[in-house]
Amino acid sequence: MTVLSEAPPGKQSFVERISERRMGPCRLIALRTPIRDVVTWCGSFASAPDLGRREALLLQHLVVSMLDKGAGALDQFAIAEILETRGAELAFASDTLRIDFAGRALKEDAPEALGLAALQLREPLFPEEELPKAKDRIAASVKRSMESTAAQASRALRQRLYDAAHPNHAQSFEAQLAQLQDFSIDDVRTYHAAHFGANAFTLVVIGDMDEDALAKVVDERFASWPPRDMAPRFAATAEQRMPGSSVVTLPDKENVDVRLGHTLSIRRNADEYLPLFLANFVLGGNFSARLMQTIRDEMGLTYGIGSSLAGVSTEYGGHWQVGVTLSKEHVQRGIDETAKQLRRFVADGITSEELEEKKTTVTGSFKVGLSTTFGLAKTLLANIEQGFPLGYLDEFPEKIRRITVDEANSAIAQTFVPDALHSALAGNIREEDVRVIC
Amino acid sequence: MPEGFAFEEASQGIAAYRLAANGLQVLLLRDATAPVAAFMITYLVGSRHEPEGRTGAFHFLEHLMFKGSARFNKEAGASVFGILQRTGARVNATTSLDRTNYYEMLPVEHLPLAVEIEADRMRGALLRREDMERERTVILNELDRGENDPIRKLFHAVWSAAFTEHPYRHPVIGWRKDVEQMTPDDLRQLYDTWYRPDNATVSVIGDFDKTKTLECIRRHFEPVANPPKPLPVVCAREPAQEQARRVVVEQAGWQGAVMLAWKSPCGMDTDTDALDMLFAVLSAGKHSRLYRRLTDRGLTTSAWGTVSRFRDPGLAYVFARPAPGKTHEEVAAAIQEAVDEIRDNGVEEAELRRAANQRKAQAAFSRDGAFSAAAELSEALAAGDWKLYASMQDRLSAVSAEDAQRVARRYLVRNACTTGFYRIADGEASA
Repeated sequence: MTVLSEAPPGKQSFVERISERRMGPCRLIALRTPIRDVVTWCGSFASAPDLGRREALLLQHLVVSMLDKGAGALDQFAIAEILETRGAELAFASDTLRIDFAGRALKEDAPEALGLAALQLREPLFPEEELPKAKDRIAASVKRSMESTAAQASRALRQRLYDAAHPNHAQSFEAQLAQLQDFSIDDVRTYHAAHFGANAFTLVVIGDMDEDALAKVVDERFASWPPRDMAPRFAATAEQRMPGSSVVTLPDKENVDVRLGHTLSIRRNADEYLPLFLANFVLGGNFSARLMQTIRDEMGLTYGIGSSLAGVSTEYGGHWQVGVTLSKEHVQRGIDETAKQLRRFVADGITSEELEEKKTTVTGSFKVGLSTTFGLAKTLLANIEQGFPLGYLDEFPEKIRRITVDEANSAIAQTFVPDALHSALAGNIREEDVRVIC
Repeated sequence: MPEGFAFEEASQGIAAYRLAANGLQVLLLRDATAPVAAFMITYLVGSRHEPEGRTGAFHFLEHLMFKGSARFNKEAGASVFGILQRTGARVNATTSLDRTNYYEMLPVEHLPLAVEIEADRMRGALLRREDMERERTVILNELDRGENDPIRKLFHAVWSAAFTEHPYRHPVIGWRKDVEQMTPDDLRQLYDTWYRPDNATVSVIGDFDKTKTLECIRRHFEPVANPPKPLPVVCAREPAQEQARRVVVEQAGWQGAVMLAWKSPCGMDTDTDALDMLFAVLSAGKHSRLYRRLTDRGLTTSAWGTVSRFRDPGLAYVFARPAPGKTHEEVAAAIQEAVDEIRDNGVEEAELRRAANQRKAQAAFSRDGAFSAAAELSEALAAGDWKLYASMQDRLSAVSAEDAQRVARRYLVRNACTTGFYRIADGEASA
């Protein structure tokens, strides 16, 4: 592998190596790294869907899925020709309150590919004849999720925890399939006109780039993109609900996926967030965490179990989620043993040794995660979306190292409540087959 | 040259060494883009080497390799996962048809720890009965998870129908009955036969110091001796397929699938390069034949294809999802027509050029991060030669339009085709 004569990573902080430019409403963040020939980018802007309308996110998804079906003077095959003859990649995604786009290309092709991204975002054609095919593809993807016990259980839990107006709510698969058919091409065009604009627009570019060439194309194609006049329309907090259980019975699925969870009011930028994150990591963050060590390694009950702080952002709250996969004959015991571990975790907290071990895990894996251009771009963009300064990338390991066991245990005691856990199960199982008491 | 090693050859920045004491192969690729390293050990053994009735044995063994070795075990306060994950390492292993690999992607200062652990468990795995019993239910759960997925079942069914004698007909995870009946003696015997320095390659990619790394590898692996019996030679042959085969998977679900598979040559065969390019023309991107003929016409919601690169002849296959209202038969016929068209009329130079450019970019992308290069090197080793990774671009660039048509005529023949349908079981909503 040939290495370019860049300043060696690690000698300078990230923030010293990052360049930032404002181009109209676009914030361009660039970081050269010593990879040869490869340029990767991740960008996003706020789309402010009105989550008071049930169909908003599905329509947003449909709009995004049609961005590659022609733009400006180019039909879908002309767009594909530009990308495919260069081996460049470009993808768009609907991410609840934002639209994401990401891509990579060889150095010489990156400006053209980025220019194409701008054209697709700003001037999509939305040909009417493509609408039925786009709907079929989304319906196919929904049906694939319906066949997954993991997707079904996760969705059922989110439906239990959140109202429809909350960004973490998940619409039922059946409702999505029904609503999809109602959208017209006018709906698609109207949504694009109202929600696609340079609102909180950030573009992060990483790799072996010609920075001036990229800045020029961003200036030409994105700087004049106007923001829309939009206010956030979603519920930032989840209403507390009495715990309960949902069972999605799926024939022919002998493995059952189980999700336990309750909502969290904490936000990503709260002082207590990182202590809580680290404490949860001790419980279920990786293979050597408590849940995998007990439920899998010692008892042999599952292939996989873990816990996470799901869907927490600076803008809205999320939930504590425990996920476990269990063969049908081990469902009851698997849930009971998991519940015991959760109760022990909340009642007794964690030890200093456990905390110190996970600190080095998290800081080490942070370093590993930043070792690809995509890992860097995605992490930088995520930090910016959360409202953190660019220097957060350098500060994060030290923030982790400073957390004390008292802070972690205090966060556990104040936040996690086993009695408040909801449950959702999906597989070849009926409600009367299982008893979930945490 | 560090003591104890013989330099073998170098290609595309990768240097190959051999540890004189026991024949362990070492591949080094320096990549200073980030202060991390990927360490991967590839054993040239996989489900292809399993005896009849012991399917899933090497996957089972892979699980037990994490249960402890002489020096690294839970009782000693140093479980493999615990000690490695403490450093932030991404740790795991994968078992495939021709190889098993174990890897650590970690901050470079912890590289010696990965070396030490892999050396210790190469011949020092504990393989205890009680660990095996606990892990058996874990694997059976993994198997159940796979059985939940009708597409996974379809893939197994097609491979099982396409191969009648060769062990490629067995799923890597094994058949349930074999996993249930596997004994510690079975695993011990296979471990003692195949896990040894002269059947392994260590690959290190990252921001390491070459001399120190080789010295570290020598220090830990040199004492690991090969078992006295030589490595067995496994010859597996599959008789020529002379008739089309068909297999149907029925399971509850919501969206059917179609798979057409043809026998493909060995991974090292230059005909596989031609098939590789042919399948790129067939299925990569919106200009591909399958997109234009199937997906753009509303016959499928997706369609893609690929060619396996294994030690022995494998499969080249197309997978598609019928669009609502379209039948499996219609989709299979359209795929066959797309293949026939190439067989009869060949491919255009522009199509091949597009495919070659895509592969060139993919090759650059694959060097973004130490792990992806390590993983691709492991697959090249499994196919027969690590240099396949280094020479892949040249091999693919050498494929001509005539080559593509020739291999279409030779391999993509109707009599050697195995067709698989995943149909929604009666009583369920369907596509």
